[in-house]
Amino acid sequence: MNIVTPFFQQCTRTPNHIAFFEAENQLSYSELKEIILRIATYFQNHNIQNQCIAIALDRGIHAACCIYGILAAGAIYLPLDIKNPAPRLKVIIEDAQPRFVIGFGPSPEWLIETDKWLDYSQIPTTHSHLTPLEKTPTALAAILYTSGSTGKPNGVALSHQALSNFSSWAQKTFSINQKERIASLTPFHFDLSIFDLFTSLSSGASVYFMPTHLTLMPSRLTDWLDEHQISCWYTVPSLLSFIGLKGSLEKKSLPHLNQIIFAGEVFPTVHLIKLTNLLPDVIFYNLYGPTETNVSCYWKIDRERLNPQENIPIGHSACQAKLTINSDTGELIVNSINNFSGYWIQGKLEPIDSDNYATGDKVSLNQYGEYCYHGRLDRMLKCSGYRVEPAEIEQYISQLVGIQNCAVIGINDIASGQRPAAVVVLERDIDLAEVIKPLRKQLPTYMQPCKFKVLDKMPALSNGKIDYQAIQALFNS
Amino acid sequence: MKQEIRNFIFNELIFVAEPTKFSDDDNLIDSGLDSMGIMRLIMFLEEQFSVTLPDSEIDPDNIKSINTLEKWILLHKA
Repeated sequence: MNIVTPFFQQCTRTPNHIAFFEAENQLSYSELKEIILRIATYFQNHNIQNQCIAIALDRGIHAACCIYGILAAGAIYLPLDIKNPAPRLKVIIEDAQPRFVIGFGPSPEWLIETDKWLDYSQIPTTHSHLTPLEKTPTALAAILYTSGSTGKPNGVALSHQALSNFSSWAQKTFSINQKERIASLTPFHFDLSIFDLFTSLSSGASVYFMPTHLTLMPSRLTDWLDEHQISCWYTVPSLLSFIGLKGSLEKKSLPHLNQIIFAGEVFPTVHLIKLTNLLPDVIFYNLYGPTETNVSCYWKIDRERLNPQENIPIGHSACQAKLTINSDTGELIVNSINNFSGYWIQGKLEPIDSDNYATGDKVSLNQYGEYCYHGRLDRMLKCSGYRVEPAEIEQYISQLVGIQNCAVIGINDIASGQRPAAVVVLERDIDLAEVIKPLRKQLPTYMQPCKFKVLDKMPALSNGKIDYQAIQALFNS
Repeated sequence: MKQEIRNFIFNELIFVAEPTKFSDDDNLIDSGLDSMGIMRLIMFLEEQFSVTLPDSEIDPDNIKSINTLEKWILLHKA
């Protein structure tokens, strides 16, 4: 088994069909295969079997070629969020201990071991006619770093069978075929990209990489969908809300668009109703699942049942996942072939000891037997579709000079789900602005607290633990 | 008007360590104003200044700084 094998089979069936399209560039299946083989040959010559290779490239054709090349060669891909500030990238590299870090140009300042750097443009143009290396189903394919509750980013390790299971489920469920034009906007370190990368090319579909700046111009974004005759798009609700409100859809019909799939956060039903009304012929799906299980629930939006006062359900089991609810806590437990193999810690896999993954999400079943989501059992936040652990932000704040204590909570926000906010206790009478200045360079935008409050003393419960509810109340008042 | 826009942006949308040192020409998008922020900003501006900002004009050229925002609003207030 290898997650990239279906693509190679597709190359024989549809060699001249467009595989990737990005701005002025486009690659047919056979042209793409040539590039992938070049990259795979280079890596195979370096004995990288089952080793992790980090990709420091923006989302797009080059990064996607690297992913396929790495996998065909039998290695594991680790997509970095190169918009992350250098200190966070350094932490991830130190933890992942990749064999190579691939990017463009000279080695970046955040990479200490510069001998690991590989300039993409220096990869030789010659290749051998290799076929994707056969892997055992449990062999690792990807490591996706998410925010970690221990205060450090966490590498979620996914196997070839986990990716394949999701990819073929999605292909079947959404009837993806070679006529499909799939818009891709999700960065590759985000699990939504597994659809864009693998379901697409396994089915013979074409992937259209959407220019990132279009997310700032909703009306141009909907023009782009129309011009490129996009038929399917898997993205996050916050962006869909934006185009529903400001994408000039009243004046456009987008006749080619058949399906919109969304996941990553709760879609405010008011905004969803607005969008479904503007796109009456489009089928919408809500997908649910943490990175550790990928998609484990899905709901095909039933327009008749949309009620502005109610959140939509996360629906039924997806990808043959066995779902149970912990009767004491209401927590959703997922047993699925999609499930991750464990966390990647200090350069190796720390395997999980159970087939059951406790999601930390509170759920219930409704009258239709569908699962409904009721928030987190722990402190995790969802900010603009990103999962954010307050502990990771606290870790950075507490290391700043002048901070005695700090706590981070989430403020609800109609546009971006939640946003972090912080309370701090200062060591002495100093200027907060001065103290928190370094954070700008340490945390990605979506992790930056949007509000700070200075307190004399941290609110505490009688057992001495931080009273997060009291802190929450401070921001709500 | 500028002060109201500044207050909303720095209190609600982006985190700038020293808002007072952020000039009216400094780039808001480079400082972390993203699509979600822009959506909230436009909803705020339309309500606060009783103006309709055309969807087709929502782009970085109009949104990039406090000064361009003010100019854009005034254009539609007339």
